Amino acid sequence: MKKLRTCLLCCAVAVIVCSGARDIEKKTFSWCGVVHAQDDWRNEFDDVCSRTQDAMIFSPDELRNLIARCDKLKPRVEKLDETQRKVFLKRLQLCRDLFLFVLESKEKK
Amino acid sequence: MKRTFYIALLVLVIAGVTSAQTGVKKKRPLPYEYGRVVISNYSEKAGLAPVVFDHWLHRAKFTCRLCHVDIGFAMKAGATGIKASDNMNGYYCGSCHNGKKAFDDKIVFDTCSKAPEAQTRCLRCHSLGKNVKAGYDFSKFTENLPRGRFGNGVDWEHAEVDGLIKPLDFLEGISIKRQSLTVQKDFALGTKLEGMPDIIFSHKKHTVWNGCELCHPEIFVGVKKGTTKYSMTEIFEGKYCGVCHTSVAFPLIDCQRCHTKAVQ
Repeated sequence: MKKLRTCLLCCAVAVIVCSGARDIEKKTFSWCGVVHAQDDWRNEFDDVCSRTQDAMIFSPDELRNLIARCDKLKPRVEKLDETQRKVFLKRLQLCRDLFLFVLESKEKK
Repeated sequence: MKRTFYIALLVLVIAGVTSAQTGVKKKRPLPYEYGRVVISNYSEKAGLAPVVFDHWLHRAKFTCRLCHVDIGFAMKAGATGIKASDNMNGYYCGSCHNGKKAFDDKIVFDTCSKAPEAQTRCLRCHSLGKNVKAGYDFSKFTENLPRGRFGNGVDWEHAEVDGLIKPLDFLEGISIKRQSLTVQKDFALGTKLEGMPDIIFSHKKHTVWNGCELCHPEIFVGVKKGTTKYSMTEIFEGKYCGVCHTSVAFPLIDCQRCHTKAVQ
């Protein structure tokens, strides 16, 4: 019984430490498995939209995948508060439009 | 008497026809006014004067991309629909104007704050028709920058190349860390008029200020050369190059800045 209590206490401490560490370095500490839904959409957004710089070098399949990721992210952004929704929907649309634009121009060639 | 009447009538008809063809001549803005945007989505309803935004100061410090992509300002005045609450939440103007961020060793004043001491600051932005002393003086700010013929009277491109201005392209907490942009090739755009030099479009010059997504596909839909036929009429109406080059970037009357290819 005492062992079980100690074990549970250790787990609780580990969870608290992990979530604290994740706040310090949001992007690198995903290993502990404590996923903050609030940051999750932002990480995905940053990852997808950071690729606009390389849009011209992606293959059509890679571009299609990026467009699909934008579409998947959109409903999550729509659930944010009014200001964030307005800002990030526009930013997401800019990314998606660029990927689609490059894809279409590649397919026309 | 009859003759005088007919002459007067003729003069009136000619004047009418001329003005109908040319319209009312638009007043060319003064150097410090060029790029000015007046925003009045909600200001007047809230009992405040509309916001006067001067591009010259902001464009000297930040890239177009930072504000129009990362922060999310629309390219058309008033299209963003900025609310005071947006600024208070740290977005749009509030991305920098939060009383915490510092530029040029100055803390940037916060916008739309509810703090009682901040009420007097409303006029810093909500200044249309008000006699407000700006934080930066245009003449003093631009005195050492290379001269341009039109627009702000400043050659911003050379100012950036010469390192006299260093526009920021990243804002912590707002921008995404990215690799530097692979610059696409420059290309020539043929003109219809005989003797008119072709346009050399420099991707390199444009990508200093803009990312890909600022121009494509919203402003330039066709990527394949020759797909879109550009006309100066449309450009002067604010389409294509005219989105920026009628309002903020050097104006279209500075023909030689674009029509640069030597005539064969």
